[in-house]
Amino acid sequence: MVWINLMMLLMGVAEAVELPKFLTKHSIDSVRFITMDGRFAYVRKRPGVLGLVTSFKSTDFITDESGSDFIVKDSSFKRRLAIEVIPSVHHKFDPYKKNKIMVVDWGQSQTKEIGLGVKAKLHMDDEWISFFDPVEKAIHLQNIITEKKYSIILSPKTNPFFSPEVEMITSDTVTYTDINEKGYAAFISFNLLTQKSTVIYRAPQIATRLELCSNGNYMMVGEFPYDGVERGSKLLYIGLGPSTNLAGFTTAYSSADADIGNMVCLRESVYFIKTMRHSKLMGSKTTEAARLILKNFQLESKTSMEHITQLVHMDDRILIPSRGEYFVLEGRANLSDDTLKSTPTKLEELPLEI
Amino acid sequence: MKTLPLFWPNPHYKKILGTALSGLCLFSSQLFAQNTPLATPKTIEYPGIIQTFEKLIQIDTDKFNNRSNDLMKNGRLFSDSSSVTSLDLEPDFLNSVILHSKAGYIKLASQSKCSFYDTILTDLLRSAEGKITNVIITYVNKSGSRESSVISRKDFLTKVVSVECPETQKLISEFQIKNIQAAFASQVFEIPSGQDQCQIVHASWLKNPKTPYMCQIYEYLEEARKGLGDPNDLTQRRAVARVLEQKITHSQKDYLSNLCNHLDDEVPFCEEFLNVSFWNKVAAGLEDKIYAHSICAETLGIQNPNDAQLNQCLARMKKESDLCLFQNSKNRGLSPQIDCDALSVALNYSSLRSNYPDCPIGSDQLGLTNVTRILLHKSKSAVKPFEGSCSVVSAGEAFEFNERFDNDESWKLQACFDDKLNEKEVCYKTFFGSYNNNEASYTQVVANILKNTRGADPGTKCSMVESRDYNPLLLQFKSGCYIIYEASRCFMSQCKHKIIFNARPIDFITIKNDLNIDYFPTTVQGERFSQNYLLTHDYKLTGRPLNNLTSITAFFKKSKKAMIHGVGCGEDLLPSFFKSEAMGQCTPVPFIIDGMIKENDKVSFVTRTSMDSLQAPRIVSWSNILSTVKMYQRYHPLRIWTLYGLD
Repeated sequence: MVWINLMMLLMGVAEAVELPKFLTKHSIDSVRFITMDGRFAYVRKRPGVLGLVTSFKSTDFITDESGSDFIVKDSSFKRRLAIEVIPSVHHKFDPYKKNKIMVVDWGQSQTKEIGLGVKAKLHMDDEWISFFDPVEKAIHLQNIITEKKYSIILSPKTNPFFSPEVEMITSDTVTYTDINEKGYAAFISFNLLTQKSTVIYRAPQIATRLELCSNGNYMMVGEFPYDGVERGSKLLYIGLGPSTNLAGFTTAYSSADADIGNMVCLRESVYFIKTMRHSKLMGSKTTEAARLILKNFQLESKTSMEHITQLVHMDDRILIPSRGEYFVLEGRANLSDDTLKSTPTKLEELPLEI
Repeated sequence: MKTLPLFWPNPHYKKILGTALSGLCLFSSQLFAQNTPLATPKTIEYPGIIQTFEKLIQIDTDKFNNRSNDLMKNGRLFSDSSSVTSLDLEPDFLNSVILHSKAGYIKLASQSKCSFYDTILTDLLRSAEGKITNVIITYVNKSGSRESSVISRKDFLTKVVSVECPETQKLISEFQIKNIQAAFASQVFEIPSGQDQCQIVHASWLKNPKTPYMCQIYEYLEEARKGLGDPNDLTQRRAVARVLEQKITHSQKDYLSNLCNHLDDEVPFCEEFLNVSFWNKVAAGLEDKIYAHSICAETLGIQNPNDAQLNQCLARMKKESDLCLFQNSKNRGLSPQIDCDALSVALNYSSLRSNYPDCPIGSDQLGLTNVTRILLHKSKSAVKPFEGSCSVVSAGEAFEFNERFDNDESWKLQACFDDKLNEKEVCYKTFFGSYNNNEASYTQVVANILKNTRGADPGTKCSMVESRDYNPLLLQFKSGCYIIYEASRCFMSQCKHKIIFNARPIDFITIKNDLNIDYFPTTVQGERFSQNYLLTHDYKLTGRPLNNLTSITAFFKKSKKAMIHGVGCGEDLLPSFFKSEAMGQCTPVPFIIDGMIKENDKVSFVTRTSMDSLQAPRIVSWSNILSTVKMYQRYHPLRIWTLYGLD
């Protein structure tokens, strides 16, 4: 078992690297998704209206009530996007709210309705989608093409607002996180054909949460404490292949610090929010974005902002939202130039009218 | 050539020094024995600055006695104050009082002339004679010359104090034994929830004219308990003390002990409140048991623990901090909560009224949960009777609040039925559950509809019954109106339920619209209908936006019961509970800040999101608060700043 010895940790004082702000031709508040090269952007054009803007065309393709907003998510497969239409964002503060879930092909605007829920996520070459029903406490999985559906009902629990993380590793095996009535988190594997579940990993202490992410040939299971709880953190690496053994995980990182987590998986590395200093009395943490290189499990601190809470992964660009702005940790930061790009693809061309 | 001083130690200096010091100690023990009084010096003027304290006390005693005797011998007894001017206490007498009295009572006495007189009358100040029985005063007589007199304590009260401080007689009467219970009941023993509030509370006690009388009772009880004072009447004093103790609660006695012992120094006074474990206060009855009830019910496995069981649980909570992380009651909220140690600190600094359950897990409109917390805190009114999930408290109070200020048009949730007679759909505003028998309670609305459609008796009432308690075979359910609801799927605006009337299902009542409200305005035209506008304009709370740490700190310093409310993105407020998965993702969460904790230059706030249990606040850093509000401002339709102070 390989794990990081904190004495060997390369967490030298980060140079005062000032991250560039994320700039696009659209107002940052209106952008919901934009590709790395900026060719396709899903933009909230007006209240309740989501549009697709390419270099040469703009289409309003979802029109909902004026109080609605949108979340647009991609996956590492880049074939489809999952869209959640959130009703009455500023009028109904409802922790049980169910959003309309749709999918579109990458760079397209033709939507397909999937269902109602939250935390929509694409899996398995973007052929499968999962989402969670916060009222029924059920994970729903659906094949986008065949429309075959499965549901996994979660057990009653002490945390009424818990929502699980889901990763599908084969077409009949889905993994997800759950907590039991005593507050212990677990990483569970569920076979869709046999409808049987197996606990792969159970947290040794209560009040921690498990996060899942995967990219290509690996999955990472992160264990982090909730806000206000003093626990350590760890990352468990699982190699994925033709005969994956989920229980054969390696501890890639372990620390006594109460890291925030919110990890993002890239091809060669994993980013997460690491706690550098913590005052329990004051409930304050100094946090930075840390990068774990998968080749050798070496850890690097990549920022010096002192207060980072989230990382957003968007078409392999890593963004840090901070106090109303977005800063770019990886990927191209400035998409605001007007230089004409190369010959547009068919997706971007205006339809000819003869 | 350098020479050593004559007295520079030689090689044997240690032995000589040791011998000299030992000799000195022995010698001094002969000279300065503590059990024999000092010989009076030849003169009785106060000696120089450096003298032993004992000597000073002795000199003062002699001086006082001599002076009193002189004045009495010369017939200098004070008659009345009407014929004199510039009446003061003689400086030497004042010095004697300062020398012999506790610093706290001197500080109390120094607040005003009447305070000084009260502290003399209540035996808090002492002089060389111990309890003051004679007062030496100085005044300008009719012929314009200054002279001194001695006056008995009784005459001091009638001839001087009653004339110059008429309130004193009322206070003396108020604190007679027969009236003490009422006097204590009418006094608020305020428990401060922050350093700044504590300073204000301490200062207000110093200025309170009742403080000397309260401390007199405390000193009387202490003296009786320790057996001090005149041994001849100790038995009688102890009997009186027993009577007094029955008239004052244990928590009031503890409070007085802290106050009277720390009148001169607010730091130890405040430490009792802010640094003492909150769980000790619950055990002592100073705080409501509700803070520990759910946790202890879960820990002990007993639904309603008694006092002894609760105390046992509280003792465990101080040692096992994880006990507070989860609770399994209907009143629970966002879990896990913070641990017992952090929760104790947070509750010590918190001032929001939280002695009732409001079940955030049953709320699907957190804006109304937040508004009701503010309303019930400010109004201090009792929570009215309710049926159904306790989240109906929030729905009912918020409905009444909006109705009172003509904003019920914003309440769109309705229960409707088809009136076949009049061929139209009839709808009534409603919320699920029953609160204060309000006409909009779902139970009342259903009953009215049944009266109109099924010929139900005018006295028909519907009851909310949880599905696990419903058994159609029982006789009680064979007649009457029952709304059977699934507790885990019943919220303010949506509820999985069925209606049974006289053992038959009723399925023609439909629910329309939703409970959409503007917490802060989302349009310019709609500003007048937002909850924040109603609170600050119609309900007349003073509200101001607070957009930096300096203004928030000043706000908490100024107001004893300061409260801040706001809306922010959950992803920044509690990042481990809300994860950003896409650009532009912001989950709006209303919250209340009701306390501030400072350590060096760092500031954190006692915060309750509307998803948190009312009894379980969190400590959130300023950095998180700033981020959450700034991020929400970015996505708000009007880009307004959504952090307001209310007082």
